[in-house]
Formats: sequence, structure tokens, C-alpha cells
Amino acid sequence: MMLGDYLTVVLLIAGSIFFLAGTLGLLRFPDVYTRLHALTKADNVGLGLMVAGLALQAESWTVVGKLLMIWLLVLLAGASVAHLVAAAARQRGIKLWKR
Amino acid sequence: MTVCTYDRRQSLKFTPRESVIIHFRSGGLRAVLFTLLWWILTDGATDSWLVGAPVVLFATLVSVALLPPFSWSLMGIVRFIPFFLWCSLRGGMDVARCALHPRLPISPGLFDYIFRLPPGLPRVFMANIVSLLPGTLSAELGANYLQVHVLDERKDFLSELEKVEQRVAAMFGISLPPSGGGE
Repeated sequence: MMLGDYLTVVLLIAGSIFFLAGTLGLLRFPDVYTRLHALTKADNVGLGLMVAGLALQAESWTVVGKLLMIWLLVLLAGASVAHLVAAAARQRGIKLWKR
Repeated sequence: MTVCTYDRRQSLKFTPRESVIIHFRSGGLRAVLFTLLWWILTDGATDSWLVGAPVVLFATLVSVALLPPFSWSLMGIVRFIPFFLWCSLRGGMDVARCALHPRLPISPGLFDYIFRLPPGLPRVFMANIVSLLPGTLSAELGANYLQVHVLDERKDFLSELEKVEQRVAAMFGISLPPSGGGE
């Protein structure tokens, strides 16, 4: 294995840890708002690290561009949907969990 | 470096002739971006341009019609990227730490942040960015405020959000009034 391959492995493992933490947060956090925190932020970083890891293995610049586009579109969709879910929950009067 | 284009609210300041020039300049730039996108999607296949060229032209026309030219700053955008990457990494680590911690160290709350940014694209952009940053989630986009859900209300979110707003303003080539924000 080359240095780039090791870096890819490290980035992919780090990315999957963030996905795992995001999913754990989704299960453990107490209400809809806090669960959205876990999903948007952890998955954003998880996917970012995976995209970075895969980009190192790309054979051409267009593949790197495609991976980057995927990440940006997921960021946009994730942030917009999180906001819409939170706004809908507020409108329905769903109370937020307080310690 | 601020590229002088305009948005809807300031459109009255320009003569029709200037407005046409601004639209053409913005359209040209977007055409370049769409060309790049087509090149990425088709792996640079030369025979795809028979379809690609009309598609790029159509996309450019639709884009200028739906989203009129707005002001932006290249320096602002370049400086925003590392800031955003660093903040989202912190955001991910912060929320991962909370999720993995046995006692779930969170203390959620809601507060309203009064915008200094002008309405429209800059505010929507900021609302999206806020959701990806450490401990904050934009819950409601009000007339002149953003309702933010925070994961831990003991932290100082106000100065954090002011910093983000400043960065977003720099991207759009806007200068903000000095004070502001607040609960």
C-alpha cells in the first residue's frame, strides 16, 4: 500500500466513526431538535471525511469534482431539511426538552 | 475585491444600460460554472457537448431569470471556506462527544438572533450555515430574526453567531452595521 492508501483508510474509518456517533445521537438524544443536531453535524463531517478519503483514490479530476458535488449537495439538503423539520416542529408547538 | 453587481433592492440605482451590462457579466460567469459542471458530469467526453452546449445556455438563461445578479466577493468566499471547514469539524466533534458521553452533557435552549444582514439570499445562506456549525440549529426564519436552537445554552453563542454573520456578509460583499444581534 502507498501512503495515499493509508490516508484513505484513516479518513474512511474516521468518517464512519462520525456516522456512528450521529446515529447514536439520533437514538439517544431526547427530542426532535437535539436529534437534528446530531444528524446534520455528524453526517456532514462523516461524509466530508469519506469524500476526502475517496478523492485520494480518484483517477481523474472529474471524479474529484463529482465527489465534491455530492458532498455540497448533501450539505445543502441536510441543512435545508433540518431547518424545515425544526420549523415544522416549532409550528406544531412541539416543546423542546429541557434539562 | 468586490464584483459590482446588484440585488433586487438596489436595482433602482442603476440605469437600464448598466443593468444590462451587469446581467451579461453575471450570465457569462454562470455559463462558465455550468460548463465546468457539465465537464465534471460527463467526464469531459467531447461528443457530449452537442447536448451540453444547449443545456449550458438554457441553464444560464433560467438561472439569470430566477436568481438576478447579486453582489459577492471573491476574497470573502475564499476566506469563508477554511472557516467553514474548521467550524463544521468542531461541530461534528462536539455533537459526537455529546452523543457518546454516558451522561449526555446537553442543556438545550432557544434564542432569537436579530439579523444585521439584509433580507434574501444572505439570510437564507446564514440560516443554512448555522445548522452546520457547533451546537446551533436554525429553527425558524422570522421577519428580521433567526430563531436558533442551541445544544448547550451555557455557551456564548451570541459572539459566535456574530462572527458567522460577519463572514457571510464578507462573502456577499456587504458591510454590516457595527453593533446588533441580541436575544
